[in-house]
Amino acid sequence: MRRGQILCAFLAAALVLSGGCAGMDYTSIATIAVKTGAKAVEASRPISDSEEYYIGRAVAARILGSNRLYNDSQLTLYVNEVGQAVARKSPRPNTFKGYHFAVLDTSEPNAFACPGGLIFITRGLLQMCASEDELAAVLAHEVGHVANKDGINSISKARWTQVLTTLGTETAKQYAGAGGQIISLFEGSIDDVFKTIVVNGYSRGAEEAADTQAVSTLRSAGYDPGALTTLLGKMQAKQGSGASGIFKTHPPTGDRLTKVKSAAPGGTQDKMEAVRTKRFQSIKL
Amino acid sequence: MVLAVLVCVPALGWAETMKVALGNQSLYGDPNFSATPIAPVPQGAEVTVVSKNQDWYKVEYKGNSGWMHRSAFAQAEAPKAGGGGLAGLIFGGGVTQTKSDEVALAGKGFTPEVEAGYRQQHPEANYAQVDQVESFTVDEAKLQAFIKEGGLRP
Repeated sequence: MRRGQILCAFLAAALVLSGGCAGMDYTSIATIAVKTGAKAVEASRPISDSEEYYIGRAVAARILGSNRLYNDSQLTLYVNEVGQAVARKSPRPNTFKGYHFAVLDTSEPNAFACPGGLIFITRGLLQMCASEDELAAVLAHEVGHVANKDGINSISKARWTQVLTTLGTETAKQYAGAGGQIISLFEGSIDDVFKTIVVNGYSRGAEEAADTQAVSTLRSAGYDPGALTTLLGKMQAKQGSGASGIFKTHPPTGDRLTKVKSAAPGGTQDKMEAVRTKRFQSIKL
Repeated sequence: MVLAVLVCVPALGWAETMKVALGNQSLYGDPNFSATPIAPVPQGAEVTVVSKNQDWYKVEYKGNSGWMHRSAFAQAEAPKAGGGGLAGLIFGGGVTQTKSDEVALAGKGFTPEVEAGYRQQHPEANYAQVDQVESFTVDEAKLQAFIKEGGLRP
């Protein structure tokens, strides 16, 4: 609390020195800041990497409650090799327990990035990919969502504030962090993330940011960044009038395609891309 | 003036000793993930940062010297709430470095115990398969061979 007072006095002093807000009563500003400072410190704690991990596990458990894993060890290893090759070149190469990639046994094309780095691609989307570089483009985009913490950021601010408030009470301390209210808030947080990544999709801005990051990651990893352009073009062509699945959660809008095309025109194929495509084709789906 | 204050404050929070926020970390011989791991560094370990090279920190830990990626310190490298208090408030604070009453707050949250409680209430959640997915790992030597074979960048 004492630290909160010092912080807020400092903030008030900075405002005075700035010469802004002429005519305002700075004593009042300082008083308000002191009163609210301690609460702000408590409420401002971000979600930690380990908390992100446990939320991600729960979201993945929910996805796997209604989708089976495609149990093909050779394919799973290959997808993980491609995924790890791009993840280490992303802006967030490390997460609490690392990145893990898996294939879901459904023909509906889609991909999901759970907070913390559990990433799923469906058999249907794998079949839509014609090369390793296109698979890498999908995975780089999903890694981009993890790096940008898009899943975690979909937890409502009000809910997270409630978590911190609850944790600060004696009741929560007696429950040692496992009280019924915290579990309920954990459940709500999972709902927020699940609805965003599986039902409604991210915002257009988050999708475009993940695309931009994917292009940069693909380039750093040595993959053809134009593969994302190719894949989005393919998705746009397949998009029907009734948007569902990936067409709802990752809409391949014209704007999105134009921006990716501008950043990564594609069309240049080096000889190693042919080697990669060959090993992609050797993996049986 | 406010801007000047904000820009200066983060520098006050840097310390030579940093706490590792993530598990399963290693010291690397060179500043890249393809380099040979020298020694494991557990979560919570305190290392001494001697220099920096973009996203990589040269550190010393238990008599070993090597490189660690900055993301290993993700939670700890935010400015100290105790030293540069305003920075802690503005930037969200370094949870693992706070020394006051927030420590109790930071130590809880969504923990394995909360997950256990959630699992009891949601038997339909397929944690067995989540554990299976987490077991999917790629041996570093095999990954390097994969990267090399495909003409990718290590």
